[in-house]
Amino acid sequence: MHAFLPFLLAQAATPEDIVREAARLQRNYEFLSYGLIVAWLVLVVYVLMMVSRERRLKREIASLKAMMEERPKK
Amino acid sequence: MRDKILYILGAAAVLLIARNIYVISGLPGEEAQGAIFKIIFFHVPLAITALTSATVAFVASVLFLVTKDFKYDALAVSVTEVGLAFLAGNLITGSIWARIIWGVWWAWDVRLTSALVCWILYASYLMIRHAVEEPTQRAKLAAVVSIFAFIDVPIVYLSIRLFRTQHPGPVFFSSEGSFPHDWSMIMMWNLFAMLMLGTVMTMIRLRQEEAQREIDSLRRLAHAF
Repeated sequence: MHAFLPFLLAQAATPEDIVREAARLQRNYEFLSYGLIVAWLVLVVYVLMMVSRERRLKREIASLKAMMEERPKK
Repeated sequence: MRDKILYILGAAAVLLIARNIYVISGLPGEEAQGAIFKIIFFHVPLAITALTSATVAFVASVLFLVTKDFKYDALAVSVTEVGLAFLAGNLITGSIWARIIWGVWWAWDVRLTSALVCWILYASYLMIRHAVEEPTQRAKLAAVVSIFAFIDVPIVYLSIRLFRTQHPGPVFFSSEGSFPHDWSMIMMWNLFAMLMLGTVMTMIRLRQEEAQREIDSLRRLAHAF
């Protein structure tokens, strides 16, 4: 009897039931999207901070090296 | 060459995460929670990556105090900063899940509170580094703070095992969990991708720390003239 139960239930379900069940299982999708967007945004902001820091460091090294090269000439 | 390898690894990690998001979006929702349940596939790897970073920072800090080699101090600060970003992601995803399932953004239970304390401790570590000018003194003090902050990491990990918390019990690496095997595999892939991303970010940050040391020595040299 148990083996036939899913088959019998599948026979009883209408397409509307299936659509409703799928929608029920996919509820809160909006909040899931918010969660993932915010989590990735934190990491993206951190990466952008790293990129700007890298540029600043390169500029600073270049200017210090240029300064050091100029000094012995005086 | 080292840069190229780092960028290739970073791109591979991002592609792997994109592939995982595609796979996860195709999974059915959980019976009681709906789609918001899928946040676990990101929430847990973010936490594991953050706690792994804290462990690496602890080891690097101990090694710095033993050897006085500044490369360990650079590793400690780099990995702490990256871990802090991952822990922030973990706290935010957890809070959004809690808003739907518990009806509140935050609950002061042992797991949540210890994780927040962990974030504050490591943020303090970075603030202390900014406050001290002298490099040797800064590195020593930071190493001690990092070792002290690490005390919270086992508390965060064990809180859901030792205490009755509002936070769900362990589902991975535990006999109590009932996560389907194929879902566990997706989680493991996501964990692998995030650990890879964390490693790449740490290596890039480490390179910046080396550049900062070069600037410090160039400045000292400039003052010596």
